[in-house]
Amino acid sequence: MTFEPRLTRNWSNADAVGLDGYVAAGGYAGLKNAVTMSDADIVDVVKASGLRGRGGAGFPTGMKWGFVPRDTGKPTYVVVNFDESEPGTCNNRELVEREPHRLLEGTAIAARAIGCETAFIYVRGEYLWQSIVLERAIAEAYQGGYLGGDVAGSGTRVDIVLHRGAGAYICGEETALLNSLEGLRGQPRLRPPFPAVEGLYASPTVINNVETLMNVPDIVERGADWFRELGTEKSPGTKMVTISGKVERPGNYEIALGTPFRQVLEELGGGMLGGGTLKAWTPGGSSTPMLTADQVDTGLDYESLSAAGSMLGTAAIMVMDETDCVVDCAQRMVAFYAHESCGKCTPCREGSWWATRVLARIEHGYGREVDIPLMHDVGKNTLFRAFCALADGTASVINSSLQHFSEDYEEHVRLGRCPLKDAHVDVPAEVVAS
Amino acid sequence: MSADLVTLTIDGKEVTVPKGTLIIRAAEQVGVEIPRFCDHPYLAPAGACRQCYVQIEGQPKLATSCTVTVAPGMIVSTQNTSDAAREAQVANLEFLLLNHPLDCPICDRGGECPLQDQALAFGPGESRFIEAKRVFPKPVPMSPLIALDRERCVLCARCTRFCDEISGDRFLELYARGAGERVSIAAGEDLRSPFSGNVIQICPVGALTSIPYRFVARPFDLTSADSVCRHCSAGCVVRVDQRRGDVVRVLAREHPEVNDAWICDKGRFAFRHDDLPTRITTPLVRDRGLEPASFGEALLQVADACRQARVGVLTGGRLMDEDAYALAKLARTVLGTNDLDHRRVPQPVEVDRRAALMATDRDRAVTYRDLERAPVIVVVGLDAEQEIPILHLRLRKAAARGARIVVVHPRETRLHDVGEHVLCRPGDETRLLAGGADATMDAALAALSQAEGRGVVIAGERPGAAAAAFGAAEANGARFVLATRRAGDRGTLVAGVHPALGPGGRRLDDSAERAELERVWGPVMSTGPGRASMDILRAAADHELDVLYLIGVDPLRDAPDAALARRALQNVDTVVVQSLELGNLEPYVTVFLPAASGFERPGHLTDWEGRGQRMWPLRPAAGISRPDWEIFAGLAAAAGGDLGFETLDELHEEMGRLLAPREATEEAAQAPEAQPADNGLTLVTYPLLIDDGRMVRDAPDLHEALGEPPVVEVNPRDAEAHGLADGLGVRVRTAAGEAVLPARVTDRIAAGAVFVPFNQPGFAANTVLAGAFTVSVELEAVESPDAPESSVAPAGDAEPATVAGESA
Amino acid sequence: MPMFEGAVLDDARRIIGRYPASRERSAIMPLLYLAQSIDGMVTQDALREIGRLLAITTAEVEAVATFYSMYRLRPTGEHVVNVCTNLACKLRGAEAVYEAAHEAAGVAHGDERSDDGMFTVHEEECLGVCDHAPAVQVDFCNHDDVTPERMRGLIASLRGGDVPAPARGPAFASFKAASRALAGLEEVPAS
Repeated sequence: MTFEPRLTRNWSNADAVGLDGYVAAGGYAGLKNAVTMSDADIVDVVKASGLRGRGGAGFPTGMKWGFVPRDTGKPTYVVVNFDESEPGTCNNRELVEREPHRLLEGTAIAARAIGCETAFIYVRGEYLWQSIVLERAIAEAYQGGYLGGDVAGSGTRVDIVLHRGAGAYICGEETALLNSLEGLRGQPRLRPPFPAVEGLYASPTVINNVETLMNVPDIVERGADWFRELGTEKSPGTKMVTISGKVERPGNYEIALGTPFRQVLEELGGGMLGGGTLKAWTPGGSSTPMLTADQVDTGLDYESLSAAGSMLGTAAIMVMDETDCVVDCAQRMVAFYAHESCGKCTPCREGSWWATRVLARIEHGYGREVDIPLMHDVGKNTLFRAFCALADGTASVINSSLQHFSEDYEEHVRLGRCPLKDAHVDVPAEVVAS
Repeated sequence: MSADLVTLTIDGKEVTVPKGTLIIRAAEQVGVEIPRFCDHPYLAPAGACRQCYVQIEGQPKLATSCTVTVAPGMIVSTQNTSDAAREAQVANLEFLLLNHPLDCPICDRGGECPLQDQALAFGPGESRFIEAKRVFPKPVPMSPLIALDRERCVLCARCTRFCDEISGDRFLELYARGAGERVSIAAGEDLRSPFSGNVIQICPVGALTSIPYRFVARPFDLTSADSVCRHCSAGCVVRVDQRRGDVVRVLAREHPEVNDAWICDKGRFAFRHDDLPTRITTPLVRDRGLEPASFGEALLQVADACRQARVGVLTGGRLMDEDAYALAKLARTVLGTNDLDHRRVPQPVEVDRRAALMATDRDRAVTYRDLERAPVIVVVGLDAEQEIPILHLRLRKAAARGARIVVVHPRETRLHDVGEHVLCRPGDETRLLAGGADATMDAALAALSQAEGRGVVIAGERPGAAAAAFGAAEANGARFVLATRRAGDRGTLVAGVHPALGPGGRRLDDSAERAELERVWGPVMSTGPGRASMDILRAAADHELDVLYLIGVDPLRDAPDAALARRALQNVDTVVVQSLELGNLEPYVTVFLPAASGFERPGHLTDWEGRGQRMWPLRPAAGISRPDWEIFAGLAAAAGGDLGFETLDELHEEMGRLLAPREATEEAAQAPEAQPADNGLTLVTYPLLIDDGRMVRDAPDLHEALGEPPVVEVNPRDAEAHGLADGLGVRVRTAAGEAVLPARVTDRIAAGAVFVPFNQPGFAANTVLAGAFTVSVELEAVESPDAPESSVAPAGDAEPATVAGESA
Repeated sequence: MPMFEGAVLDDARRIIGRYPASRERSAIMPLLYLAQSIDGMVTQDALREIGRLLAITTAEVEAVATFYSMYRLRPTGEHVVNVCTNLACKLRGAEAVYEAAHEAAGVAHGDERSDDGMFTVHEEECLGVCDHAPAVQVDFCNHDDVTPERMRGLIASLRGGDVPAPARGPAFASFKAASRALAGLEEVPAS
């Protein structure tokens, strides 16, 4: 995997965490460039770069900025989604730990592009240290003149307010995040109105992911063509991936979009842990349908993964080997969705809660034959039925595990136990009613 | 086709609806009911229950019809024509029922439950899951009126959205998340809202139930009848449910031009007022004691007493329109008196005339709809939440739609979160509304001027407010409306129960208008304008009247001078009481005439807008009681006269001739003189929603939920000047009497103003009033740390009034 | 005694001041952290007082407080041990770490905290340290690649009064201290 790293190019430079080190490494050149450009030119170059949102949905960033109306008489807001909570995903964390100013710079540029004076960074509460790293960086940036009343000598104002979440995966959903930031429960909002029109405080708002914004300084400094030198036509640029689970070297890595999973697993992840055998993997966090060993050559980009029946998501690859029980893993993943369901809508709240219990029953050896079609139905009746995409994560786990590993389910029911566990496990009373 | 209309196809039927209509509403237009739980036409879309899936052609996913608006050419298939939609609805129902306790046989909602209906229609017969259901403690009281069963709850959020969007009383919230999500109140913080009962009615399952109604009846035990609420002038349409002749429940009916789908808790929970054990349904005449008599005897006795006598007639505010009309005609053509009044608070005749004219002509009326569309509304001298609650909700709705609301009132009102307040010392309204005295006020006046005639000034009953508001509306090109509190106020005014105005606001001192009246009525009393309410009492007390005829009113409780009222009752020869009961008047009454209650006879009520609404009886008249108008007709006959109608139809025909829209010239009201500011304090009082009145008796849960103890509210500045402390005793002393009550020191009242509630249990404010609802007052801290909760010591030799109340 | 007075009221005003004018309600989350930093949990009194401060009902505050998992509304140990058992950590042995945490801290499953009041053990969803699974947070300070044995060691040192050095960033000595930092009130010296 040979290309010049972009987002990670200063990772070996411990000084890049501070303002001086970041500037010495060329930092804030993008912002300095941006303050000489018109709003529209900034939006145009980001559009031309083909940058797509790195938070999971892959929406074109420049287009998103272009939707923001400027004549409403209301303020506009940039909100940075640093609520990185998708299971298996932690690259935003490391990006910020190592180079917080790149995020501030990208944020300030986005603010310039849409005429925003107050930007918010919503950071998940569990990232306490990373929020402190940002607090320090923000203080430095104010001192250095990159934030505040005279951004990079432009005479215009950009303030950044840090807001900490408090433990709710759903707040990664952008409208739930806005509610949370407004001091409400983090339940998603109905769209329309879309945040670009009525977002934070009912004002036009752009919400971007951390990695997305950290790409922006280079695009503004080096241009759209430079950005497109890596990646694919529809998925230009690099992508941070997280690889975890049964691999030798779990970690965050930068790849060119389109790199086959096999290459990432072997070259970056160091291969299967202890020489194990690949059984299953999620390509983009637990919400993306899991894939099998047969699909190891799938390219990691929006289109290839879609063709394989999954999604790039947050590019968080969790690797399971032959010693891992898919039913057990699916149960744990669905339990996550049950825990994180906001409760607002029926299929998500009930589907995830009941599926967690049925899956536990199957895993513990109390499965009935009718439970397998029942789980098929729960998956079907949850997918695309809920208010937001959270429940589609539940459905993805259920559906993909049933699709690829139905024999594992059947074996649990047949044996009356998990085939990978030694013996029958007693089930807590609350799991089975009768 | 208009650009504001959209044509689409639903289940093969073409339908044209306004742009922005939700699919679920459009489907209703073609008779297709899409199942729903969270959707409610008066709440913002939620998309929470996911029951209302439809298939929209060209869209890969199913859509919830309660969140998607129509688009031109859209082709929608509901459960009737789309297998996918139907299967999704069935699947969703399975999810909803998974955790439901299925306890319909013991659920209050059983038999009238959308979830039960759905489950019967589509539900799977058996659960496919064997896991244990989530259990919650139950029932949990949300207030003394409402209990919550969380296991039945489907988390549709109708109740919490109601509290958020409609009432603004955000005491009911969704707590936690996921499967643990639940409706809750905070510990020590009840759902205290005068609109709380609506959450019971809109709950689509049996999760929120009425504590007073719990286990009282089954839907199939009930006889339901449509009616109009008689608690205030809001005009809410209601459904009254009776079980074996007893009223057991009142529900809101929907009326988009009146109460939307809401009623207040007083209307919902206070319904035993006509069934109290104190009700008297036989005429009584005083012989040695009070003896039962026939109507004939009783009416003859009244007729005899009135012959050649000076008669004063006072009514309450809850007469039906027909009764008021018959009374106006009786007084002026048979009893020969203009001393006739219904008003609690007198207004300048121009204001009353305007109110009457607006009620006779829909083109002049200011309506709920007009408020919704007004860009700016100035509310003067009205505490809408406490006085006309559904009007309060409409003001909130207007605010939510962007209206600027400015309230000029001595106390902050519950509009505080959606509007601005100009806290106003009583009597200062004229000065403020003239402009130049307060920046907020001036901005509001400027907004009225710029509103191109769509701005509204709405006035209540604080003394002086309406005249000042009338002037300000005229001066700033805004519309004016008087909103008095009681259900019959407007109809009674329009009918001519007024010392100076005949039916339709006709001035009796205007020869042309008088001639119009005489063309229908024949000769009418020609002596000048009669006396207003308090002057009638003064005249009676001063032996200038022989007969006091009291119809649905108890001056001892209602008049702003209890001692005067007592002297009036003592000093006339004859006291005729026509009502449901005698109450405090028993020692004074000469003849009692039993009236049929509002549940027992047909008629009309006219709300504050001037909208007359028809009411039907839901049961026969109790005993030998009669509708008031029939009593008046009988009395006319006994006196040798003839009102000219024997049936309601005949009465309506005649009334219609006098109350038709007509050309009328108007004069501006003379606003009361602006009072020079001084350092004295002015006491202001008005009844709170849940008071000690007759209509809310026998509703203990309601009192527990919303009752307030009597207190004296003073501004911190005045408290400091008088050495008063919050919670400690204060002696209130006026020319009329004094009382000791706990102080509530709050900056939510204007400096210089002192508020006491008119009529809370334990304290009757009319014992310290001298003929008006404002009075100069002195305050004095009561040293004793263990000051009594409240003690009442009226001046003079009169004994204390018994518990005050408002009569029917 | 009111919570928001004196220095605490100043803190609360600073928090509210971060947000645009008339958007005070946005401060509810940091104010809950502030309350938690004082009492070691969010008490009913705190909910009421935050409501009063923001001119909203207690129910509105509690609705928010109960939505998020990082607010503790029940009695809580001096230290809160969060063990991620989500998939990436589970695949690397998190369940054994979680069991070890219970055992070493003396907290039975289902209990809010240990009898000595020292520890609360919490099963966490993904903590975002999948690259060093199993991930643990003690008072929101990260500990990487935790084994059952290391888990026991962490608890032993806390019991002995030592705050173990986290994998990254400074250590917060207690759940209260971490909550203060979460309120954005901890001045952490630049490294």
